[in-house]
Amino acid sequence: MTDSTERLAPQAGEAIDRSRSFEFTFEGRTYTAHPGDTIASALAAAGVRVFSRSFKYHRPRGLLCGAGHCPNCLVQIGDEPNVRSCQRPAEEGMAVKAQNAWPSLDFDLLSLTKYFSALMPVGFYYKTFIRPRFLWPLYEKVLRRAAGLGKVDPHSHGEGFSKEFLHAEVVVVGGGPTGISAALAAAGQGARVLLCEEQAALGGHLRFWGAQEALPGLLAELAGQPRIQVLTGTMVTGWYADHWLSAVQGKRLYKIRARSVVAATGAYEQPLLFAGNDLPGVMLGGAVLRLLRLYGVKPGHRAVVVAGDAQGWEVAQALRSAGVEVGAVLSGDGRDGAEGFEVLRGYAVAQAEGGRRLRRVVLADGQGGRRRLECDLLVLGGNWAPAADLAYMAGCRAEYDADRGEYRFAQMRPGFFAAGRVNGVPGIEGQRLDGQRAGLEAAGYLGLGSGPVAGLAEELRQLGPTPARAWVPPASGEGKNFVCLCEDVTDTDVQTAVAEGYESPELLKRYSTISMGPCQGKMCGINALHLCARARGLSMRQAVRTTARPPTVPVSLGNLAGQHLEPVQHTPIHQWHLDHGARMMGAGLWMRPEHYGDAAAEVRAVRQGVGLIDVSTLGKMQFTGPGVGALLEKLYVNPWRRLGVGRARYGVMCNDEGVVIDDGVGARLGEEEWYLTTTSSGAAGVFELVQWWMQAGWGKGAHLADLTEAFAAFNLAGPQSRAVLQRLTTLDLGNGAFPYMHARQGEVAGVSCRLMRLGFTGELSYEIHCPSGYGLHLWEALMEAGKAFGIAPFGVEAQRVLRLEKAHIIVGQDTDALADALSVGLEGVVKLDKPDFLGKRSLMRVAGAGSQQRLTGFRMMRPGLVPEEGLQIVGRRGGKLEIIGWITSSRFSPTLGEAIGLCWLPSGLAGRSGAEFSIFREGELLEARVHLGAFYDPAGEKVRG
Amino acid sequence: MSITLIRQAFSRSAPPRMWRKVPLRDEYEVVIIGGGAHGLACAYYLAKDHGITDVAVLDKSYIGSGGSGRNTAIVRSNYLTPEGVRFYDESVKLYEQMACELDFNVMFSQRGHLTLAHSDASVRTMRRRAEVNKLQGVNSRLIWPDEIARLCPHLDLSDHPRHPIQAALYHPPGGIIRHDAVVWGYAREADRRGVEIHQETEVTGLRVDDGRIQGAETSRGLVKAGKVLNATAGWGSTIAGMAGIELPMTTFPLQACVTEPLKPFLNTVVVSGSLHVYVSQSDRGELVTGASVDPFASYSLAGSLSFLEEISGHLLELFPCLSQVRILRQWAGLCEMPPDFSPIMGITPVEGFFIDTGWGTYGFKASPICGKTLAALIATGRTPDLIAPFRLSRFAENQLVGEKGAASVGH
Amino acid sequence: MLILDCPNCGKRNASEFRYGGEVHPRPPAAQQLSEAEWAHYLYMRPNQQGVQSEWWYHRAGCGLWFLAERHTYTGQVTRTWLPENPKSDD
Repeated sequence: MTDSTERLAPQAGEAIDRSRSFEFTFEGRTYTAHPGDTIASALAAAGVRVFSRSFKYHRPRGLLCGAGHCPNCLVQIGDEPNVRSCQRPAEEGMAVKAQNAWPSLDFDLLSLTKYFSALMPVGFYYKTFIRPRFLWPLYEKVLRRAAGLGKVDPHSHGEGFSKEFLHAEVVVVGGGPTGISAALAAAGQGARVLLCEEQAALGGHLRFWGAQEALPGLLAELAGQPRIQVLTGTMVTGWYADHWLSAVQGKRLYKIRARSVVAATGAYEQPLLFAGNDLPGVMLGGAVLRLLRLYGVKPGHRAVVVAGDAQGWEVAQALRSAGVEVGAVLSGDGRDGAEGFEVLRGYAVAQAEGGRRLRRVVLADGQGGRRRLECDLLVLGGNWAPAADLAYMAGCRAEYDADRGEYRFAQMRPGFFAAGRVNGVPGIEGQRLDGQRAGLEAAGYLGLGSGPVAGLAEELRQLGPTPARAWVPPASGEGKNFVCLCEDVTDTDVQTAVAEGYESPELLKRYSTISMGPCQGKMCGINALHLCARARGLSMRQAVRTTARPPTVPVSLGNLAGQHLEPVQHTPIHQWHLDHGARMMGAGLWMRPEHYGDAAAEVRAVRQGVGLIDVSTLGKMQFTGPGVGALLEKLYVNPWRRLGVGRARYGVMCNDEGVVIDDGVGARLGEEEWYLTTTSSGAAGVFELVQWWMQAGWGKGAHLADLTEAFAAFNLAGPQSRAVLQRLTTLDLGNGAFPYMHARQGEVAGVSCRLMRLGFTGELSYEIHCPSGYGLHLWEALMEAGKAFGIAPFGVEAQRVLRLEKAHIIVGQDTDALADALSVGLEGVVKLDKPDFLGKRSLMRVAGAGSQQRLTGFRMMRPGLVPEEGLQIVGRRGGKLEIIGWITSSRFSPTLGEAIGLCWLPSGLAGRSGAEFSIFREGELLEARVHLGAFYDPAGEKVRG
Repeated sequence: MSITLIRQAFSRSAPPRMWRKVPLRDEYEVVIIGGGAHGLACAYYLAKDHGITDVAVLDKSYIGSGGSGRNTAIVRSNYLTPEGVRFYDESVKLYEQMACELDFNVMFSQRGHLTLAHSDASVRTMRRRAEVNKLQGVNSRLIWPDEIARLCPHLDLSDHPRHPIQAALYHPPGGIIRHDAVVWGYAREADRRGVEIHQETEVTGLRVDDGRIQGAETSRGLVKAGKVLNATAGWGSTIAGMAGIELPMTTFPLQACVTEPLKPFLNTVVVSGSLHVYVSQSDRGELVTGASVDPFASYSLAGSLSFLEEISGHLLELFPCLSQVRILRQWAGLCEMPPDFSPIMGITPVEGFFIDTGWGTYGFKASPICGKTLAALIATGRTPDLIAPFRLSRFAENQLVGEKGAASVGH
Repeated sequence: MLILDCPNCGKRNASEFRYGGEVHPRPPAAQQLSEAEWAHYLYMRPNQQGVQSEWWYHRAGCGLWFLAERHTYTGQVTRTWLPENPKSDD
């Protein structure tokens, strides 16, 4: 077990609970941690310096930013890859492993690539592995193995993800002093505020950086403010249209509708560019202060501090208070050595030296003078880039301010406000005022209050502008100077890429992969832009930033999916089907019985006796009004207007291209009452379409109700169907009283029903519709009444065979997006002399020019051989096989004892009864011949009986 | 190992430029609007196959900034119609030779392409595609869960998902490629042969006189040309509109996203029509994934949260072990969708004005053959047979192509 | 996510609606159009970057079709309105 040798005495305001401790492992070794420790802080307390190996060169990497931005601390925990260990709380028993290192983190074989790095410049893989071609798959295998970070565990199973909607008038992103001030100001004007803070507790940088004494007061103001909802540990990950925000808190995804947004997101500390800048031991100021103050961990023993601004000085002082020897402070802001440090003015870091950790730095004074200092900690302070990603996603524009050395907002999106450090305001007083300003502006935008008072702007002005800061160009030293740590891109790489012509920042990014890694440019974006502009001789104002895209931090698929639910629709008979051995199949959203064990037996039952099928999934439209007849005339290709009351008819709907989009049956139940069905899968689409035509011009005097789910429907089919039905109803079912293609209403088994005599299956049959609530009762009554006649339930498969024996089409299976009603063979249904209907114009063209292809029936020469649906029909042209059609429906018919089907063929061939053609199957040709019309009962006597 | 690399390693001088930066002249024989893979491929073939080098390729931003830089880099030829299969097969063959031909590693990884079928209707369509493919000499076949499991062990092949996997269309020659490299490879070779590439040059209008193209008005001045090609997928209607031509397309965003890099585990491209998702693992280890076009027409390139939610749900249905994998970045490109899901290529009523549009969600994989055939058309005035089915006049002739059945998710 | 102002229900998330395409009136005398003119109606669309009039259907709400003016690049919806009452059948 490794001792926590670097743990300091308790610190005021620390995040750990020293009264308890537990153990976890990293790379097989055991470490202790306190509640509140992150994995990284516990490891750092034990003196661990190397946390990972870099992507390309497998260089050792240590803690750098401490804020979850850089890739250096990524580890694998069990089956979870790419975890930022500086953010993730340590837990008892965690088994943490390093990523992308083999055989071990301490000794990674692939780090030997450093000896070949001259041969691996930026984009090297585009220039090599080209020949010989056959070796590319092998090269690729090697490249792939070397790439990637974390590992996917095939048995991993995530659970417990949830989603929640939130609404707020003002969403404040960032719970530091700026955000808290903004929230208080907006709530003070009556706005409902949601304050989101990424860290586990409010305070932002005040938790570990400067002016910490201001924090309790701010928190006290916030407590008990009823209009402010606070979410900690919550990262806002994206801005979307109309202020729609996504935020992640552990396993929960929040979807937030805001009416306005205040971004108080602070800034990203930026690394400096010098040789060896990626060595473990080189750290940003924030990382050092977090370790010292939040976790009581000493980050090193002898430090050199680059203090670019006052915050940098604070780090030096904090280190000294913690007993760390501070070798020197490189001052950028003119403070002298009165504070007891050796101050080196005018010096910059030229290079950092060491093997697996920092051992010394070389400083240069710009005039040839050099100093070498032994140290194990180099703190980079004073370089910041506004964390403005969310604002950029919202369409806010920024321009580069060369004096301040950073981007400043030039134009904001209405309703989106930025305040505090992200708005270029440093220092606690300025941040509180700027937060207040933004909160008042947001409230004013919503009509609450009158915006910030004039005095506020004046107060802000009096604090003075953001201190001027120049970008620190890369130092020239020996060794690699990393711009992008995620992808191991050096400044030499950037210069090379620009020199090769990849000049625009986007091309530079895509070629060098700079900013394409886990940090997505937080650590490198600005430096990369500077280098690019410098290489091209442009000013920063001329450089166009690459686009900021969601998410602001990586979000897991589990979070985004939440509890992924896929809807399923059941008919009222669903359980009965299951209880009677049905094998269910999905048909769109519906679950339907495919068969009950033996589809062929079901077919026989219908042909010889009686069967019952649940067709409740059909779309059902109830039309009422005097204008319905005229409406239906226009919507369908067939006539409707003159259909008598009590009559029913098959209807086909086409679009204006003449392509068949749906079919169904319709019955006229009364003078102004019509009842039409659609296909199950087409129901929603047809309903929408009909609504559109009604509302857009054709619906005068017509009303439509969607009864799809309100009514159950069954088809009682077979020679005995009349006998069965008569036992349950007093309706006169005699052939004269209730003929084929007629509709009646009456009671069946005590339930008020609509009945239609139709012919889809080719037998005497009754389609019975009743309100869904009575569905099961009616179904069971029919099954009971049919017992004496050997009634059998039949499923979709049997129905497919039965309708195929009658050569009836299924829309969407026998037809596709190009099949017009005439070519499909529905000439008998299309009434071209109606004045107007959907598809008429196009169908007239087809009628005139003739179809090129037609749908027709076929029988196989070898009766037992069933060709699969989708097989292609071929002819010979010039010695080669050419596709001339294809099989849409194909089954073995138990009734006829042979294989039958429907297919598309060239018109001439399709119209010749008995004409032979060939089907291509697995390199062989199967012979078939054309069959016109129904295969079974062509005269249609059975349905009319 | 490449000699170039070794030479570059030991050299002190700057590496050679990929493409020159030259002043924009006021007249060319051919102007190509759109510096993506299609436009640059066309320029390359004009120079290489036909010796026409007085060509300017204009792009309003950087080359490859449109669809070429935003797609999910899938290459395949397992389409539904014979004419589609023939066309894309030619493209795949050109992709296979591309690295050698352009002396630039485009990293074409023919690792195999799976289109999953989750219903019997879908199995029927997959079989149809397999049969059409076979008859055109393209390697595709229907495979069943046992073989799917061998190719892709992380897929959930149990009965548990709402949409269980019944079969798949397996297309071994399909795979992924480094899409930006295709753009850069063509740009370099075209430039080397004398073609001029002008970035940051936006076309703001077209000059048409007496039914004949005269040139293009750009943000850098008027450029005269007797032949102009519109290769601006996504903005095809905008450019065509400048010549007074309306096209049968609607532009929709197509979103995509990428995860953090992972050690290799997914070795095929996986597509699901029912679940509207496709995914592959890049050579860098990231999962690259996308779905179908956005539900309403737009020219905006911003992504949406709904897309991330839906695609995550569908990915986890297919690969339940990925719940802890993180999305790194999302983006969108523009797809112009014609009614028959097939491109619109060739001549227009304006003489000398050619279009290469209607590329929907299937444009990048056609880049090489598109460049080659359009170059032939521009050079000779004759429309190659391979692209005749995609002519603009097919709509008036009621000769639409039948690809719609294959493209519930066109990847 | 975009907010649409349904003329009947008010402001709702765009996910409640279905897009119905650019406004493209059906020619009254279709029978008299030439093949080219009919194909133009069936297939050709302006498809420009800018403000367009389009149809939306409140699928998860009132079930009404309505019109909107929206900029296809910025996404800004300037107004929404119900179509005129259905005309008489002729």
